[in-house]
Amino acid sequence: MRVQLAFFASLSQYLPETGSEDRVSAHTRAMDLPDGTTVGQVITLTGLPDEPRIVFVNGRHAPDDQVLTEGDRLAVFPPVAGG
Amino acid sequence: MRTILRVNMSDLSITKEPLSDKWAGYGGRALTDAVVFTEVPPDADPLGPDNKLVIAPGLLGGTTGPNTGRLSFGAKSPLTGGIKESNSGGTAAHALARLGVAAIIIEGEPEDKLGRYVLRLFPDGHADIVHRHDLTGLGIYETAAVAKGIEAAEHRMSEKTSFIIAGPAGEMGMKAAGIAVTDPAGHPNRFAGRGGLGAVMASKGLKLIAIFYEGLGATEHADKEAFNAASKKFGAALKEHAVTGQGLPTYGTNILANIINEAGGYPTNNFALGRFEGVDGISGETMREITLERGGNVKHGCHAGCVIQCSRYYVDKDGHYKTKGSEYESVWSLGANCGISDMDAVADLDRECGDLGLDTIEMGVTLGVYMDSGKIAFGDADAAMAALKECRKGSELGKILGDGAEATGKAFGVARIPVVKHQGLPAYDPRPIQGIGVTYATSTQGADHTAGYTITANVLGVGGTVDPLKPEGQAELSQGLQIATAMLDSLGLCIFVAFAVLDIPAAFDAIGEMMTAHTGKTWGADELMGLGKEVLTMERLYNEGAGFTAADDRLPAFFYEDKLPPHDVVFTVTDEELDSVHSFVPETAAAMGITVPGK
Repeated sequence: MRVQLAFFASLSQYLPETGSEDRVSAHTRAMDLPDGTTVGQVITLTGLPDEPRIVFVNGRHAPDDQVLTEGDRLAVFPPVAGG
Repeated sequence: MRTILRVNMSDLSITKEPLSDKWAGYGGRALTDAVVFTEVPPDADPLGPDNKLVIAPGLLGGTTGPNTGRLSFGAKSPLTGGIKESNSGGTAAHALARLGVAAIIIEGEPEDKLGRYVLRLFPDGHADIVHRHDLTGLGIYETAAVAKGIEAAEHRMSEKTSFIIAGPAGEMGMKAAGIAVTDPAGHPNRFAGRGGLGAVMASKGLKLIAIFYEGLGATEHADKEAFNAASKKFGAALKEHAVTGQGLPTYGTNILANIINEAGGYPTNNFALGRFEGVDGISGETMREITLERGGNVKHGCHAGCVIQCSRYYVDKDGHYKTKGSEYESVWSLGANCGISDMDAVADLDRECGDLGLDTIEMGVTLGVYMDSGKIAFGDADAAMAALKECRKGSELGKILGDGAEATGKAFGVARIPVVKHQGLPAYDPRPIQGIGVTYATSTQGADHTAGYTITANVLGVGGTVDPLKPEGQAELSQGLQIATAMLDSLGLCIFVAFAVLDIPAAFDAIGEMMTAHTGKTWGADELMGLGKEVLTMERLYNEGAGFTAADDRLPAFFYEDKLPPHDVVFTVTDEELDSVHSFVPETAAAMGITVPGK
């Protein structure tokens, strides 16, 4: 299945190296993953540090055990705030 | 000894009064509220002689406590028609507190309606008012430069000088006019932006307040040793928390652009969409890259004692200072909400608003509404700048725009006008982030994110989690945050400390310990939250006196009717839940012995 990964702020360095065809935007890459891959598995796969993070799938907060499906967008942020 | 400095602009007199015992436990927002509640009739003309502008550092102002340098400005608002407290960073809060000033009350209006005056406060405690006609109509930056030149010629300028300035928008009586305060480098770029208080200041003939505080030390404490210990504990908690210790200092407030966009709550093209395609161009990450490339400053505090350091300077292509930040709210309002994705264009608009003395939130919402009318196109930064130039000219169009989003929407027949209590909505759409909708609807201040920042639990995972897309739990979340915020605003604490306070119990304890050590009276959780309730109670009763009812505690109809993509949701918190937010007010009012003023 093909999904989008988006890592922001200090986590953007963990975005997988991909060809230009997979570059969606500055912080987003497209990636092929086996069916049934979970959020937590992507985090392990990409080497994201084991620190607090905010995770969205398709704009909704998602737990590590959520299974991704074709076309999903997974976005990960370090703890951030402002206003 | 804290004193009130009463400045009567009708006869240009200044008197000093001791702070009365009943207000001894008040500072910042609590004190500006108490003065407005007691001395300004709720039916007063906001730009007439009966309104008063009150300027008060918080109870911890002037101390060495971390992040205690916020300055509250209060009055009856020309924009909302209700009570207003808008607070700012910059150096003036500590300066006033070190002079022993609990509040400046500016009242009356000068006989010479075209007169421009400067109020000056000196380190030895005396103050004067000087006529300064040459400052008439000058932009905020030029006003600061001219005033600096005059004072420097008389050897008064130093790093320990603060300016508070009304811009040309205020002088023209525009309802979106704010008040500028200088930062530690002397840039007049910190703002009490919201609610038209710049117009109130200018209506008093007051163009600038200069505070000279060279040689004055921090205010004294009842128990210095205990204060220093509590202060250290508080600072350590702010450094420890990932948001206040790392996220904010590295990226500034605009780090929020991507995450609010991701959550689908980043209002785009006048609240028509929840995501902005051009967000990459104006995100906090991009802003940091551009600023570093050009040699700009990406980390400093807006006042002495700030340990969070979220401020930064945006510079032009040649590395010259252009404006502060820009802050998240300003980048959103003048960027995504207007469909503009070019950071330099946004910074130009930010600078123009800053120099005119216009609230960037209100003006971005206004320009979004104006674009929605079809008069100019979404994404057209040049047309947006031309519109702001009309404000500078004071043309018929400029005066409409300068009165804010509602005035503009009505003048041009726009269906979607995102305001509550006549004030433009900030940078979070209340449909996919329902908690902030409760705050917008019920806040005494009109639509104001800072009044009860539910983005914490709704989006950021700070202080627990409350699903942003559902109505459950939002009223309770907003109520707790509105009470806590009213307390922080009264102590002079930057509300960003809340990110740490919500997650680290020791940080909350340290606030009570600092207050106890500073004042010599016991301040525990009950006293702190009790203060917050008293503040909101004065504000609610005042607004009732000014004519507000439960019908004013609602969002505009389109938020209940038009589904917002990408989540395709509407606002679903019920009226009953909205009405429950201020359920504590009757009991608190009875305990305080106050009733609706003017009735």
